[in-house]
Amino acid sequence: MTARDRADSRLGLLERMIRIREFEEGVRFLFLEGSMPGTIHQCQGQEATAVGVCAALRPDDFITSTFRGHGHALAKGLTEQELLDELFGAATGCCKGKGGSMHVGDMSKGMVPGIAIVGGGIPLATGMALAFKLQKSDQVVACFFGDGAVAEGAFHEAVNMAAIWGLPVIFVCENNLYGASTRVDLVMKNPRIADRASSYGFAGETVDGNDVEAVCAAAKTAAARCREGGGPVLLELLTYRQTGHSRRDARAYQPEAERKAWAARDPIEIFAARLEREGVIDEAGVERMRAQAAKRFTEAVERARSAPQPSPDDLESEVFAPESQP
Amino acid sequence: MRIDVRMPDLAATEGSDIMVKRWLIPKGARVKRGQALLEVETDKATMEVESIATGVLAETCVRPDGKVAVGEVIARIEAEP
Repeated sequence: MTARDRADSRLGLLERMIRIREFEEGVRFLFLEGSMPGTIHQCQGQEATAVGVCAALRPDDFITSTFRGHGHALAKGLTEQELLDELFGAATGCCKGKGGSMHVGDMSKGMVPGIAIVGGGIPLATGMALAFKLQKSDQVVACFFGDGAVAEGAFHEAVNMAAIWGLPVIFVCENNLYGASTRVDLVMKNPRIADRASSYGFAGETVDGNDVEAVCAAAKTAAARCREGGGPVLLELLTYRQTGHSRRDARAYQPEAERKAWAARDPIEIFAARLEREGVIDEAGVERMRAQAAKRFTEAVERARSAPQPSPDDLESEVFAPESQP
Repeated sequence: MRIDVRMPDLAATEGSDIMVKRWLIPKGARVKRGQALLEVETDKATMEVESIATGVLAETCVRPDGKVAVGEVIARIEAEP
């Protein structure tokens, strides 16, 4: 990789994180204005986990996601327009308006539509990885879930199967310290989630989830290991949600000092500052990126507001997978 | 341009009213988009509601301890272009 390519790829990471932040902030105001129905689960502060992991994957690799999936979707290559159309319930949305905020995804872009049941994606990703192994494909699956999923039975059953069969799945735990309003240390005697891997006999690592380059490096190593048949891998990414669990949550359970400490480690701010220090971009360049992302969002909202709504005739289409031919 | 501020959908139980606890910005004062504008009490929690626009808080339509339905106009902001 030339120096120019390396700089471009780092700028790409920054740009994707900024696009996610602008998207989430924009959606926050749509909700406050009353133009976005239902509640929303947002990921401000967690942009580096989605972007770092997805940048380490190939387009034909898959991810599974959660109810907090806007960032994962944008990082895996879905556009603001496809997401906003979906959030507005339009037929042009990534799930034809039938999924909404909690279920964004697109199989053709390597993202299983979001699974809102806590821990629900973990056995599913394991099954996909088993399929890849049986098909002798070198694709991998990265499975996103939160700290709240780790005490679910589904986690333990799935990681054990992935371990005994050596499946190509990266279990990506976004540890943001709270399962809804419950702090991890209230529900875990050993709050170091990466340690769970060793009890099942596979590799686990704890990574600074607010450092996009550290996340990307760890995910690249994990993906390479999975492709070589050395999987699975558990990555625990330490991060922090700078917003409520959902839009109806005032997050009063997050102590002020803790919020401040994590705000000082904002993933976008620290990476932009690093790139500025190293002369890859200047402050005006970062501002331009922000302005472009904001403009892209505003234009997409305008189109989404007038996008066609699904008709009752479409009710049963796209609900089940087509029958497979033997 | 005068913008209507409506009560956002913050209640945990759909259809339950939301109480305006207090205005954090006095009528006639400037407010910035994203700044806490008022405190509300839902069926589950007390929380702050941020302003959707930058401008002057021209009108408040609900007094403290008044209950309103989701979507009802609670204030008007004379927004800066």
